[in-house]
Amino acid sequence: MTDRSWNEVQALAVKAATGAAVPPAQALAFGAMCARHLADGGAEAPLGDALRAPETILSLALQVERMIETASLSPRIVTASEDDAGRRALLVSWLASLPCQTEINVRAHEIQACLSLTDPGTRTRPARIVLGAELFCRMQELAARTYVHDSAASRESGAGAGLMELD
Amino acid sequence: MRLARMGAMMPTRLSFLRVLLRRLCAERAQIIRTHWDMSAKGYGRAVYSLGFGGHTYSLVAISNDLPADQRSDRVIAEAWDTAFVLYDGTPDAAEIDRIAAQAPLQEAGRFGPRDLVLSRANKSVRMWDATVAALKAGTQPDAAMIRDIGYLMRTTAVYGNGKFGIADRHLFADRPGLSGAFAAEMLAVYLIRHFTLDLVQHVGGGQLDPRLARHLGIGNATGLGMAPFLVTHPVLLNNWVTARETAFARVRSVGHLTGRHRARIAELAERASAHLAEWHVPAQEHDTTLRRLEQDWAAFRPRLDAWSGPRPLETLWQGARSETAALQELLVALLIEVFPDEVDGLSECMTDPFGALVAAFSGTDALRAAISRDWQWALMHDYDSPDMCRRFWYVSEAKLEPRLGDRFAEAGAELETPLDIARRVAALSADLPPQDQPVSDFLQRHPVHAHAVARVATLARYPYAEIRDNLIAATCRPIDMLRCKLSFFGATKFDPKSDLWTRITLAQGAPLGHELSPEADDWWLPVLG
Repeated sequence: MTDRSWNEVQALAVKAATGAAVPPAQALAFGAMCARHLADGGAEAPLGDALRAPETILSLALQVERMIETASLSPRIVTASEDDAGRRALLVSWLASLPCQTEINVRAHEIQACLSLTDPGTRTRPARIVLGAELFCRMQELAARTYVHDSAASRESGAGAGLMELD
Repeated sequence: MRLARMGAMMPTRLSFLRVLLRRLCAERAQIIRTHWDMSAKGYGRAVYSLGFGGHTYSLVAISNDLPADQRSDRVIAEAWDTAFVLYDGTPDAAEIDRIAAQAPLQEAGRFGPRDLVLSRANKSVRMWDATVAALKAGTQPDAAMIRDIGYLMRTTAVYGNGKFGIADRHLFADRPGLSGAFAAEMLAVYLIRHFTLDLVQHVGGGQLDPRLARHLGIGNATGLGMAPFLVTHPVLLNNWVTARETAFARVRSVGHLTGRHRARIAELAERASAHLAEWHVPAQEHDTTLRRLEQDWAAFRPRLDAWSGPRPLETLWQGARSETAALQELLVALLIEVFPDEVDGLSECMTDPFGALVAAFSGTDALRAAISRDWQWALMHDYDSPDMCRRFWYVSEAKLEPRLGDRFAEAGAELETPLDIARRVAALSADLPPQDQPVSDFLQRHPVHAHAVARVATLARYPYAEIRDNLIAATCRPIDMLRCKLSFFGATKFDPKSDLWTRITLAQGAPLGHELSPEADDWWLPVLG
């Protein structure tokens, strides 16, 4: 187990989701959710499961989108039902990771959320997040799928290229 | 907000280094050298501490003997003349040892939450050697060389906000002094500049003339790594530009110019002329642009003595609308400089602690209307045309840094980073259904469009959140994005080396470490003379 900064975890999770073929917006949201989930002491297993089955991430993103849509039309408590405990935990973390103010209650399989979409969130962030070695390695493997081997043209044109370094 | 405009921007009194220095000056901060273990040649360790906003911060500096063949400004370099950590508090011996072991490794090192910023710098060997030689000879370095180069060392990276394990910004974002955008990074840069002056005087065995020392800033070489930031932080970009535009709107609405205002404008106009005269770059194309600006400014300056109308600055600005973007941007920065009372408080609005706070669209018809209203600039291109999509942004395997490729000549376009916002919104627009439906229903069938939907929603609330250009066009010049971001940092003497990277100078003309007092905040567009 290694402790990491919030941004390290979030950025790695975004890349991992992207490497798992999740589209950009959902990958960005997954990254924020992942950091929130781990910071709040959530289990790592559902995160690993989601990365193995990226349709889970798309489905969660859609659930949240529908809840936001409902809250936008008429500000009130919005609900979602989720039977699977792991997915339910991720859905709660996803809502908690939104930039807006959220109040979330879980009753059995039902999640109730009050979303104040234009008010800033007030949740604090910890100094460090603990990320287990297995999930970290899995995320790194997936993230590596998004990297491109530098071309010669790139290497010859980046910052510092083509100059004597004594000037 | 177009690339061509962004590529002409100038530093202002809202630039982050200016804001930080203003705060340091207001507090009369004192930099104390708490540790100095340097060889006669300038290799070893140093620590500088200062109290600021009720906290203590320290710069830990590690200076190494770097063989000349390893000195490179490339981000892919693996060794540097110096390495730095801005530390939260005063490090004890064990912490200094830890940092001394990790900082020279840079990206390969591991850092903790008390490490606020990580950086490294290489000497400008020409300037360094000449300064050391002059001081050893009991003289001063050549002023012309200082004017031409402007720094003793160049940073090649300044990492903050959680990179490699250093502290996340949220850990100190509410502290007085460090609450501003990039404030910790700017504090590190300023202290690095202080260290370079200290070190060269140690090695040279003499004191620099304060006038010359003040004109030695800290250099920086910046490439593509910085450019995508403006696209991936749309609300932050909006807040920076909104602050600047609000400042300028306030200035334009000033109804009466006092004699003091007029004198200040005249003084700054003269200073701008002198600054331009001292600003030369090797690249012919860019130097030609600078020389044109110098001439245009000389021709424009008489208008700064001929005030008329109930809102004379608005009248002046309307008269400047036909001038080049370069002249307009210089004028904007100058006029903002004159009105600190109207402007300086806006620096508090230049962060983004939350992210985009937006409601959902009521349906696809509302989404279409927002696109029609805000995104015509993105809908006008044929993205199937090779030159409209020639570039692709990607993350390099070797250094995990942003890069730009040619879609038709290089491999990897399938792993493109989603900076092609304009193309994505055009594709979204084309796929919207004729009948209104919930956006979530649409996204269920087209999940790939969620990114474009989010950008449309963001721009609807944050009007400066998007660069209104096609960032994958063959004509896209990343240097314009760098100029914009670096001008917000407070950079001067932009020295583009290609369309992809530039050198700049920070803190040139800034008060020296022992000069931090309120009256010292007057170093916009410094001139050595």
